[in-house]
Amino acid sequence: MPSIILFAPLVGALICGFGWRIIGEKAAMWVATGLLFLAALLSWIVFLGFDGQTQQIQIFRFIESGTLSTDWAIRLDRLTAIMLIVVTTVSSLVHLYSFGYMDHDPQWREGETYKPRFFAYLSFFTFAMLALVTSDNLVQMFFGWEGVGVASYLLIGFYYRKPSANAAAIKAFIVNRVGDFGFALGIFGLFFLVDSISFDEVFRAAPKLAETNLTFLWTEWNAANLLAFLLFVGAMGKSAQLFLHTWLPDAMEGPTPVSALIHAATMVTAGVFLVARMSPLYEFAPEAKTFIVYLGAATAFFAASVGLVQNDIKRVIAYSTCSQLGYMFVAAGVGVYSVAMFHLLTHAFFKAMLFLGAGSVIHAMHHEQDMRNYGNLRKKIPYTFWAMMIGTLAITGVGIPLTAIGFSGFLSKDAIIESAYGAATPAGNFAFWLLVSAAVMTAFYSWRLMFMTFYGTERGDKHTHEHAHESPRTMLVPLGVLAIGAIFSGMVWYNDFFGKTSAVETFFGMEQTAKAESSHASLSLIGAANAAENGKEEPSSSHDGEKKAAAEPGKGAIYRHPDNTVLDDAHYVPKWVKVSPFIAMLLGFLGAWVMYIRRPDWPAKLAENQRPLYLFLLNKWYFDEIYDAVFVRPAKSLGSFLWKRGDGSVIDGALNGVAMGIVPFFTRLAGRAQSGYLFTYAFWMVLGIVFLVSWMTIRGGAI
Amino acid sequence: MISADLNIVLPELILAVYAMGALMFAVYTGKDATAPLILGSTAALMAALGVWIAISGSGAATAFGGAFIDDGFSRFAKVIILLSAAAILLMSQSYMERIGILKFEYPILIALATVGMMMMVSAGDLMALYMGLELQSLSLYVIAALHRDDQRSTEAGLKYFVLGALSSGLLLYGASLTYGYAGTTLFSGILETISDGKMPIGLLLGLVFLFAGLAFKVSAAPFHMWTPDVYEGSPTPVTAFFATAPKVAAMALFARVAHDAFGTVTADWTQIIALLSVVSMFLGAIAAIGQRDIKRLMAYSSIAHMGFALMGLAAGTMFGIQAMLIYLAIYVVMNIGTFAFILSMERDGQPVTDIDGLHQYSKAEPLKALALLVLMFSLAGVPPMVGFFGKFYVLQAAVDADLAWLAVAGVIASVIGAFYYLRIVYFMYFGEERDAIQTPMNAYNWAALVGAAVIMVAGVVNLFGVEALAAAAAETLVN
Amino acid sequence: MNGLELENFLIVAAALFVIGIFGIFVNRKNVIIILMSIELMLLAVNINLVAFSSFLGDLVGQVFTLFVLTVAAAEAAIGLAILVCFFRNRGTIAVEDVNVMKG
Repeated sequence: MPSIILFAPLVGALICGFGWRIIGEKAAMWVATGLLFLAALLSWIVFLGFDGQTQQIQIFRFIESGTLSTDWAIRLDRLTAIMLIVVTTVSSLVHLYSFGYMDHDPQWREGETYKPRFFAYLSFFTFAMLALVTSDNLVQMFFGWEGVGVASYLLIGFYYRKPSANAAAIKAFIVNRVGDFGFALGIFGLFFLVDSISFDEVFRAAPKLAETNLTFLWTEWNAANLLAFLLFVGAMGKSAQLFLHTWLPDAMEGPTPVSALIHAATMVTAGVFLVARMSPLYEFAPEAKTFIVYLGAATAFFAASVGLVQNDIKRVIAYSTCSQLGYMFVAAGVGVYSVAMFHLLTHAFFKAMLFLGAGSVIHAMHHEQDMRNYGNLRKKIPYTFWAMMIGTLAITGVGIPLTAIGFSGFLSKDAIIESAYGAATPAGNFAFWLLVSAAVMTAFYSWRLMFMTFYGTERGDKHTHEHAHESPRTMLVPLGVLAIGAIFSGMVWYNDFFGKTSAVETFFGMEQTAKAESSHASLSLIGAANAAENGKEEPSSSHDGEKKAAAEPGKGAIYRHPDNTVLDDAHYVPKWVKVSPFIAMLLGFLGAWVMYIRRPDWPAKLAENQRPLYLFLLNKWYFDEIYDAVFVRPAKSLGSFLWKRGDGSVIDGALNGVAMGIVPFFTRLAGRAQSGYLFTYAFWMVLGIVFLVSWMTIRGGAI
Repeated sequence: MISADLNIVLPELILAVYAMGALMFAVYTGKDATAPLILGSTAALMAALGVWIAISGSGAATAFGGAFIDDGFSRFAKVIILLSAAAILLMSQSYMERIGILKFEYPILIALATVGMMMMVSAGDLMALYMGLELQSLSLYVIAALHRDDQRSTEAGLKYFVLGALSSGLLLYGASLTYGYAGTTLFSGILETISDGKMPIGLLLGLVFLFAGLAFKVSAAPFHMWTPDVYEGSPTPVTAFFATAPKVAAMALFARVAHDAFGTVTADWTQIIALLSVVSMFLGAIAAIGQRDIKRLMAYSSIAHMGFALMGLAAGTMFGIQAMLIYLAIYVVMNIGTFAFILSMERDGQPVTDIDGLHQYSKAEPLKALALLVLMFSLAGVPPMVGFFGKFYVLQAAVDADLAWLAVAGVIASVIGAFYYLRIVYFMYFGEERDAIQTPMNAYNWAALVGAAVIMVAGVVNLFGVEALAAAAAETLVN
Repeated sequence: MNGLELENFLIVAAALFVIGIFGIFVNRKNVIIILMSIELMLLAVNINLVAFSSFLGDLVGQVFTLFVLTVAAAEAAIGLAILVCFFRNRGTIAVEDVNVMKG
């Protein structure tokens, strides 16, 4: 069954991409979509019927070279199962949605065929993403990793007539190369030290790696930390974390369904998946984990702050994505991989829905993307409005504090914030405060988006507003399905991802540490809050650590170091910590309400008063400008120097000189030597023999 | 005893007797009226002999006290010589008829030259070498001047004769020195006297003179000066013949002398040959650029190609000989195809050879233009044509023999040389409107042109097994 | 051999050979002289062969000489025949006039 899930999109892509001329445009699109729905259905069956035991399904031998031996195999465990439903569900819905959205695209001339190509790319992307998440070794994962990169490049640049789309596609590709370089180095390093790239072997060797030192660049490193860091560089690129994030907002040049699928729900979360997948390694790399926490928190804060002032509806959501990915990395960095995956799952639903909703708005407004030209649309496009409302409620984290009832974002985001606090490390505390302030900003920009789009007065082109219309059924159905996910996915799986430790362990098929759990639990009910507040470890946990040390890395989908009790501790954080994200959400909502409903003139005034800050945020902290000055321009000038001076003058000059000057000179010389006179010819022959005789008597081996 | 000897030289004997019989027949019957008949029967006989040698021969045998050697190497060369000579004969008929020089002597002289070549490649003695060489050369002098009423043809014959005689003199002088210092004319005897790897100065001089004479025959620079003039002046079918079979024979003889007679002192002669090779490659490549006459161009092309074949010989190894034989086989096929085209070039019924006539040729004759394109690419050594593999083998042989500098020089020369081949292609496909040529072809020529082109493409699969055959042939020469 | 050493013969042969070669490329007047020079070269070779044969006490050299003489005769005949053809076409046998083809 997993093989069918994996290959159905590939078959769809091939049929749709190459076969549409034969079976027709419409049929090709339906084939691709139908196969995706089949894959999604099977994924849900696999996910719901999964017992937590890791399975490996070999497909065929892949690479055999020395000690490098690679199968193409599917590794089916809980992580894979989660990713399967995320990828196939969102992808199938996006396929369906694209029927409506891609119809009559103004980018293309009448009669041009672009839809089968689009569907084929989408299906190909899905295949690559599935290959990534089902991989059983690092090389296979790398193939999927690059496959989604290619698909992303193709889809961002889908409107290839738009120079900005091409530029964005190239930017995404190049920035990702930086990350991939780190990723590849990490794989090489693992193979170098472990002599294998299969996950099982690597995981088993993880404890040993932690005691190995490795010389790299200028100094010695702890092998586990170095490799974990290198792999994380790859994750940074793919998941648009700070410093390598610049491509994600630009990637919004692609069609909106692409943004929903690739740049919100699936591909960008591959980094998070990688860290969760490599959890046995990260558990032995504390410094690398600390780095992840700092970077994730900084990204969450940075992206949310930029999102405050963006005017392009898709860019707002893009920065929101970037910020939410930061949340996930914080969770992974403090060691609660299950929570990271939880947020990944819920985020996939509500962010895909927000993007598709935004696409619906854009569709209704005739491809107008600037929110300043929206306003008062809730009557015109009611279904889209309600979908967006659900998405906003989910992302801002609306729910009943101190219970497990609320929209999906409420549960997963709060879990992360609590975990950050529960980690009780400097990095955790730093992350906690940044994440809470990011939550304020998240609520602000999300509601700002809602208010600017659906409330207030109609702005912009009057004609466009008059013709605003609700989207077709094919676009609304996916919104409805995703809305269900956005509302309920948190409540349904809360226990499995962030419930009692034993529940999480069962869910992920890990070794049971039930005993420790029960002793911990008995102590706590009332007193634990105080104990955790003091930031001290319970004496019992270190005691339990010795017992739990027997747990082998690589058993189960994720691995938890015996000393890692963050998951427990997160449940016993003080009440004010648990309530803080809710308060943050309220603050953000109120701020947005005041500024965009109550006093719509304030934003402009504020921007006027705080001009430097506003510009700083509007220009995305000047990252692009700094990169342009530091990397792009020197590289360009070096390139043009080498091209004009090096290649142009030196190489071309020399070659042209030889080709145009020296060779013809010798040609003329040879022509003149061929004088036509017998005596000249004979003379040359005599010269030849004289030369050979002299040469041989001087140089030859004669006695 | 004598009957056993005669049995070994039976193919040569048959061809020689046939040539004399045909001469008598023609003289006493219809003279030139019998020419088509004799041409056809000569070609058929040579082809039959070629096939016979190819399938019958096995093992190695010597005749006349070691003066004549029949081994795998000689058979490989003989098959190429006989088949290419037969192909050229068939191709030449219509051309010769058109310009009115289809004389009965022509096929007979070709047959005699072929006998000489077969003697050359089987020579095991300096006398056999000389006799074979002279039989070949004297026949070629005559057919170069076959067009008796043509200024150029007779000038070509005269030039070829004078310079050929000079080279014979050089070779003979070398042979006399070799005989004097080795005490024998047998190759095996010469090898014995230098079995310790040391050579007296007299033998060394003999070697140099011998090689100079042979270098003339393969038209290696600086002994190449006759080539362009003779190629241009001779009737085109004769040029085609010059470019194929005699080159193979001379090259094989070169290898025979180098390995059978001087096999223990490879270090001495490889430097001579490497020198000849590099000069030939560059001269052939550079001088051809200035040519507008396709026959002269092919002359320089053959100089450059012989430089490459010499590179295989310069390696001084068995693999080198194998590479050389592969190269020669490929070279001959390419030249047969190209000359099949050149033979058909005419303007207003008059044969022409200027390459300007090829402008826009692809418009008029797309298939022939495509075939010529393939052949030009192959001559230039552009992958994936078979010509590339020929070059690849000799380059590899040179590298294996620590002659990397020679291989690098060969690559540079072939890049320069590619220019004039590709220029022809450029003219055909992108040239401007000029005074166009016509290329009426009979079935033979058409088949030769297209067949050669197809071989150049299809041969990339396994070179038609030539690789293994050449390896077996090289093994019998070098041991 | 009455005090005559091998070297004496070789030197004479070498001298004749070099004269023959010079006759080919120094002479610019008459092609007939070239034919004579070629004969001279071949005769030099013959002297070499006979001398070696005599000093080695080996008959092969003399057999070789006979072959060379035969071939030389044939060569001269062919050379003269070609020259006659050339003369009929051009009306000259000056070496300097044999230069229609060049470059």
